[in-house]
Amino acid sequence: MALPFTNDIRTLRFLQGEMTQAELGERVGVTRQTIAAIEQGKYSPSLEVAFRIAQVFGKPLDAVFVWQTD
Amino acid sequence: MTFREKTHWVALLVMLVAFGWFFIHSHTALPRGPEHLAASGGLLIISTIGIIIAMSIIIGFIAARNPSEAHAAADERERSIHWRGTHYAYYPAVIGMWLCVWLIFSGYGRVTLLYSLLGVVVFSELIRIGAQLWLYRREA
Repeated sequence: MALPFTNDIRTLRFLQGEMTQAELGERVGVTRQTIAAIEQGKYSPSLEVAFRIAQVFGKPLDAVFVWQTD
Repeated sequence: MTFREKTHWVALLVMLVAFGWFFIHSHTALPRGPEHLAASGGLLIISTIGIIIAMSIIIGFIAARNPSEAHAAADERERSIHWRGTHYAYYPAVIGMWLCVWLIFSGYGRVTLLYSLLGVVVFSELIRIGAQLWLYRREA
């Protein structure tokens, strides 16, 4: 089932000089596979991990995760 | 594939081979009478030791290739997968337990009961590992 939100992690990683998923995962405290799953919309992260990801990119939460309205 | 997913694949394959061999052997002993069936119970020890040795060697080999990943704590997604897999295995365990209670009151022998209990444990464990692998693959 598709998650009700999308994310811009791939773009933000690119803008951070092609930060790798492994590097982001290390800074957030999760595995590379978890970052990949979040990025592809296959896993819904906890609020804590979502905030940590946003913090790494220096962005507010809603600049990373965007709720899909009908 | 994370280190934990790899260990799950190893556990699944080793359990299928070891307990598959054990149950097939026990099944062939069944027509020869309860004595033979009880004697084949000794294979359980061999199967268990075989599982422990095989898993230790293979997982040790995988861990040696990527020590940092092997020593990393499980993250929230992995913990969630483990909880859900264990939750799914709870149901066959409970149903199997009631089946064993029924076997007791139906007058089945101790050997049959022992094998049934063991079957329930192995089946539930396979459901747990299988469900966790399915969740790992689904979110990969």
